[in-house]
Amino acid sequence: MSRPARRPAGLAAVLLTAVVTSCAEVPDMPPPVPEDIVPSVAAPTLSAEGSDQLSPDGFDAVQRMAVRIRNVGCSSLSTGSGFAVDEHTLITNRHVVADSDSLQVSTYDGRDLDVSAASTAALADLAVVRTEDPLPSYPRIADDDPEQGDDVTVVGYPAGGRLTVTAGRVIGTTRDPLHENLGEVLVTDAPVEPGSSGSAALDDDGEVIGVVYAKTTDGRSLLVPQSTLREMLDDSASFTELVPC
Amino acid sequence: MSQSSGPWEPSTAPVASSVAAPDDPARPGRARRRGRTARITAAVLAVLLVAALVAVGYLWRTTSAWEDHASRWESEAHGYAEEVASLQAELDGVTAELVSAREQLDTATARITDLADEKAQLGDENVASQQYLDYQRRVSEAAGVVATALGQCTAAQFQLIGYLEDRDAYDPADLERFATDVEALCAEANDANTQLQQELAQ
Repeated sequence: MSRPARRPAGLAAVLLTAVVTSCAEVPDMPPPVPEDIVPSVAAPTLSAEGSDQLSPDGFDAVQRMAVRIRNVGCSSLSTGSGFAVDEHTLITNRHVVADSDSLQVSTYDGRDLDVSAASTAALADLAVVRTEDPLPSYPRIADDDPEQGDDVTVVGYPAGGRLTVTAGRVIGTTRDPLHENLGEVLVTDAPVEPGSSGSAALDDDGEVIGVVYAKTTDGRSLLVPQSTLREMLDDSASFTELVPC
Repeated sequence: MSQSSGPWEPSTAPVASSVAAPDDPARPGRARRRGRTARITAAVLAVLLVAALVAVGYLWRTTSAWEDHASRWESEAHGYAEEVASLQAELDGVTAELVSAREQLDTATARITDLADEKAQLGDENVASQQYLDYQRRVSEAAGVVATALGQCTAAQFQLIGYLEDRDAYDPADLERFATDVEALCAEANDANTQLQQELAQ
C-alpha cells in the first residue's frame, strides 16, 4: 500500500546522503597567501676550509710556530730550525746552538727576535732558547709518542732555505746511532736536510711528537721523541746554560 | 481470465494499478496520495535544486578563490625565483671574488716566505762577510806584527854587523849576548811569519 510513497522519500534520502557526503569533499576556501614565506634559518656560510688554522696574515699555525736559527760562531756560521713551545721559549737541537758567539732567531715572516738566553741538555740533542720578543704561535706537545705508521709533518728550514713543510710516516724506533740521546729515537720517512735540525715533527692534530735531529744515510729522519722532550723540560736541572765561544 | 468473481477483485495475476474501475471508492485516496507524493517529490527536488545551486555557487566561489590563490602563489614564486637567480648570481660573484682573494693570499704568503728567505740569506751573507772582514782584519794585524818583527830582526842584524865590524871596541861577552838576542828576535819573527803564511795558505 505505501510503496509508492516511500519511493520519493528514499530518493530524497539518497540524494541527501549524496549531498552530505559530497559536502565533506567540498574544498574549503583557500587560506590567505602569506606575505613572507622565507624561513628564518641561519644564513648559509661559505666553505672556510682550514680557516681555523689561519692567522689574519694567511699563514697557518704550523708555519707560524717555526723559527730559523742562525748560529754565529767565533769563526763559523751555521743555520738550523726550531719551534716555539710557549710565548718566549723555543726548542731546537744542542748541535744547532753549539759553539756559538751569538744566536739570531727569525720568524716565518722574516722578523728578527732578540735572544735572551740559551741552554743545552746533556742527555739529549736538545736545547732551549729564550727570546725577548714574543713568539708568534706555539703548538701543544702531544701526550703520547706516535705509533708506527702514524702521519708526521715536519716544518723547518732545510739547508737554511725557505720555510718548508714536508710529510711522511713514522717507520718505527731505534737506538740512537749517534749516541746523542738516551733511550730510543723515532725513525720517519719525512724528508729532511741539514738545516732541518731542530724542526718540529707534528701529528695530524698539529701536536709535537718529536724534534728532528739527524738524517740517516738512507734518507730517513731521526727524531727525539716527545717523551724525551717532556722529560727534559720537566727537569730544569737537565739543561745547562750555553756559554758563548 | 474470469470476469464473474466481482468487478474489482483482483485476477490471479496482478494488474497494474492504473487499471481501475471508474467508480472505485479508493480512487480519491490514491489520487491524494499521488498528489502528495508529487508535491513532496517536487519539494524535495526544489530543495535539492536550491542546495545544488548553493553548492554550485559555493564551488564557483571556491574555484575562483583557489585560482586567485594559485595565481598569487605563482606570482610569489616568480618573485622568489628572480630573487634566487639574483642571489645565485651574487653568490657566484662573491665565490669568484673569494677564490681570487684566496689565490692572492696564497701568492702573498708565498711572497712573504720568499722575502723572509731572501732576508735570511742576506743576513747570512752579511754575517759571513763580517766574519771574513774580521778575519782579514786579524790577518792584516798579524801581517803588520810579522812585518814589524822582521823589521826589528833586520835592524838588529844590521846593528850586530856594525858591532862585529868594530869587534875590538866591544866586550866579546856583550857581543855574544847581543848576537843571541838578535837570533832569538829573528827566530820569533820567522815563526810569526811562518804561522801567518800557513794561515794564509788555508
